Amino acid sequence: MTPRNLHRASFLAAALLALFIFVASAPAFGDETCNSPYISKLIKGQEDYVYVWTLGVEGLGDGLDKLVTVDVNPKSKNFAKVIHHVSVKSRGEAHHMGFTDDRRHLWAGGLAGSEIYVFDIAADPARPKLVRTISDLARKTGYLGPHTYYALPGRMLVQALSNVKDKGGVTGMALYNNMGGFITSYAMPTEAGGDGYGYDLAVNAKKNVLLTSSFTGYTNYMRPIGELINDKEAMKRFGNTMVLWDLKAMKPQKVFNVPGAPLEIRWSLNPRDNWAVTATALTSKIWLVKQDAGGEWQAKEVATIGDPAKIPLPVDISITRDGKGLWVNTFMDGMTRYFDLSNPEAPKQTYEKQTGKQVNMISQSWDGKRVYITSSLLANWDKGGADNEQFLRGFKWDGKALAQVFEVDFTREKLGRAHHMKLGSKGLQSASRTPEEYRQLARAQ
Amino acid sequence: MLRSLMFCAAWLAAQHAGAHHADEGLPALDFVAPAPGTYQLHRIMPAPDGRVLDVGGRLQRLDRFTRGKITLLGFIYTTCADPEGCPLAYRVFDSLKMRIHANPDLDGMVRFVTLSFDPARDTPTVMMRYAGSRLKQDQGLEWYFLTTRSVHDLLPLVEGFGQDVRYSVDKSSGRPKRELSHVLKVFLIDRRGDIREIYTSTFLHPQTVMNDIKTLLMERHGVMK
Repeated sequence: MTPRNLHRASFLAAALLALFIFVASAPAFGDETCNSPYISKLIKGQEDYVYVWTLGVEGLGDGLDKLVTVDVNPKSKNFAKVIHHVSVKSRGEAHHMGFTDDRRHLWAGGLAGSEIYVFDIAADPARPKLVRTISDLARKTGYLGPHTYYALPGRMLVQALSNVKDKGGVTGMALYNNMGGFITSYAMPTEAGGDGYGYDLAVNAKKNVLLTSSFTGYTNYMRPIGELINDKEAMKRFGNTMVLWDLKAMKPQKVFNVPGAPLEIRWSLNPRDNWAVTATALTSKIWLVKQDAGGEWQAKEVATIGDPAKIPLPVDISITRDGKGLWVNTFMDGMTRYFDLSNPEAPKQTYEKQTGKQVNMISQSWDGKRVYITSSLLANWDKGGADNEQFLRGFKWDGKALAQVFEVDFTREKLGRAHHMKLGSKGLQSASRTPEEYRQLARAQ
Repeated sequence: MLRSLMFCAAWLAAQHAGAHHADEGLPALDFVAPAPGTYQLHRIMPAPDGRVLDVGGRLQRLDRFTRGKITLLGFIYTTCADPEGCPLAYRVFDSLKMRIHANPDLDGMVRFVTLSFDPARDTPTVMMRYAGSRLKQDQGLEWYFLTTRSVHDLLPLVEGFGQDVRYSVDKSSGRPKRELSHVLKVFLIDRRGDIREIYTSTFLHPQTVMNDIKTLLMERHGVMK
């Protein structure tokens, strides 16, 4: 045993043996914003960090996709500052990310390729470290553009957007274990009304159901949006379905017709509820998925977002922890809207504010008092010129109005286009060891 | 023929009543679990090996307890009082034991392993006391209660299983706080030692576990539907 290992072993032993007071907790049915119900640790107090998965921009800084840590604790001397960033080795349309169930790792990927990057956020939550790149998605599944990373116990379910064969929207999900080992894949259904497209996924474990939504393939999402909108044939190649799966069996049970690219899915976080909502990008509607009186799952349109004729393009949504409210961002008009969901059958908009010239993702703290917004949608869909703001903005929400508290300008900081966010906390620091470290520990005994 | 049908109906009713009785105190499933053999349980990862102590204080390899039979393994610590944690797992194991006894086809096919997180407190003697009469092999069901010599022996196992155990860090000093946390996980391991399902409190129900055990047996006998 080397002195370093001896020190580490002694430290761990002391830390673990000193007092073995355990706090067992069941998986919660929700997270600060929209995580898997299997995530083991929620941040219910003040978050310390916002991790921003950022698209690289050629000529700006290193030009690479990167994970940026912003300190968001008002009590910190670094409040509202970028305190760390770690780049991957390419620029590949960085998009979404998700925690593993133990919240030790953050998986992230880009839509231009099929690599998945795994960051260790437990060893030092302020300074995530790239510890693994998973490169076999395309080879094992034929899928392209990993989008959603959804934690299952000991596993990560990855929803892709496209496929390597024709780069269209027919795609599927891949299942990996938490070490990055490929387990299996599931094709999105193309029969019984299924269009084969994919986008988001979300679990209601209590009901043993998985819901999936649908967007479009590489040939569309990598195209400049102005060009795409004028291509009538291409515009037909967007998803119009949601699928209800038997979670345990991972078999599709029912395909819902939900026109206009249903995107993010949010189950109510209220344990007494069993319904989910989504927003459709092209038709600007909120849809509700719920069981009817006979127990049959149904999807129905329940609200309109802005003026659909103007195509405001609803993008991210964020549900409050009690299932009573829903934030909706619309990209084109830069609006952030709040809907009262007290009656999910008839959501009512109660507030709106322009929070940017273009806005995409929205996340909120567990108590709903802090709201974070980023700007980028896709490299070729973001606006140009002065409208191409790239930021992370933090707001306070008092139930009546959003008040901006800080902004990090991602262009001025030479970082790139700010996209998906996840919250972090110093309190989630935990020992994280490599297999080699364990082997050394075992040999040392 | 009629007598046979009546016998089957009576047997099924008894099974149902027995299962109901065995599940007493457990939350009811809010869905109809898919039938055994109608779905696949994929190989998630190999169960890790390492050193453990049995209740006699003998040093053993864990793989002695995770190979050759279908194994249901759960981590516990004997002082855990969280109703959604170790006690829930214990109730489910007890309930499953009754279900397995009611299925002669499962005789000798399944074992339970209860492994402690807490080598400091949960010595072999404490584990023996904790196990009580459950240690006795009953109608072909073995239930082993294991612990480890030290944190050094424990950590590779919890890490290998992906069992979430963490210590918190004091924000002011940056030092580890004297607190650990874990989320209930129970592992279903096949005869070859591969983990095939991981249950959290949501799916840890005797009905789902029983269906999974039967699915593994059907897979072995090539009768998947």
